[in-house]
Amino acid sequence: MRYIRYNYPTRQSLPVAAFGRGAWNGLDSEINRLFNAALAGTTRAPNGSRFPVDVYQDENSLHVRAELPGFKRDTIKVEVVNGYLTLEASRERPDEKAPRAATFNRSIALPDDVKADGVSAAYVDGILSVTLPKKEEAKPRKISVAVK
Amino acid sequence: MNFINSLIPSLSRDPVVSHGHRDEALGPTLQPRYEIKETEDAFGLSVDLPGVTKKDLEITAEAESLRIVGRRSWSRPEGWTVSYRETSDETYLLELDHDNTVNADKIHAELSDGVLRLSLPKAEAIKPRRIEVA
Repeated sequence: MRYIRYNYPTRQSLPVAAFGRGAWNGLDSEINRLFNAALAGTTRAPNGSRFPVDVYQDENSLHVRAELPGFKRDTIKVEVVNGYLTLEASRERPDEKAPRAATFNRSIALPDDVKADGVSAAYVDGILSVTLPKKEEAKPRKISVAVK
Repeated sequence: MNFINSLIPSLSRDPVVSHGHRDEALGPTLQPRYEIKETEDAFGLSVDLPGVTKKDLEITAEAESLRIVGRRSWSRPEGWTVSYRETSDETYLLELDHDNTVNADKIHAELSDGVLRLSLPKAEAIKPRRIEVA
């Protein structure tokens, strides 16, 4: 499996707090921001409309967990197509001033031992978790041999 | 930045970790993504806290600052092995100074689907006041 890594937004890319900033602590972070902006190379892939995911495995299944805070359940789509798991979530404009509606998506190449059917998903506390069962032949087998 | 710090020592007084504050009691922390909107009589703060439930959330309002601590409720079940990770297990910590511009008694908080929404009514003292001419 190969992934293009998600990077958390750093302080410089976060909106500046609107309240209670003294001139001095503004200068502090401004200098940091300038330096970071100058030093930012091509090492960090831009995230665009992606979100972070984790992949776990146990004996029977592959588990994918994605951080997707603040979405409505019916705007989240989970699909398995041609060996890829695609997660998509969209948000409408909450009000007139907000930026336009946004769609976030992420595709993950699935290992061969995962079944395309029997996939289940749940969305709890802003975390989307998807469980993909493994094929029978991929599960570890225990064969007891009777000793005569 | 180190070079500048050596010239002006006071600039280094606040050792900010690249992606969050440092707090001895909490261990490594992560500053969550947040957004502040301002209306005439309140500030609206929304904080992304995926994976945090109500009981793992701690909001402390002090006279001059607001502190939000969110611990991760989920931990990896036994038997699960990590194939790939992008998220972290670090505790969320957000500290904002409001310098008494907020009425701390009337803060209203709501957590749903991993987003915390706080309504911070402005203190009477900073609201615009219309003065009638006698």
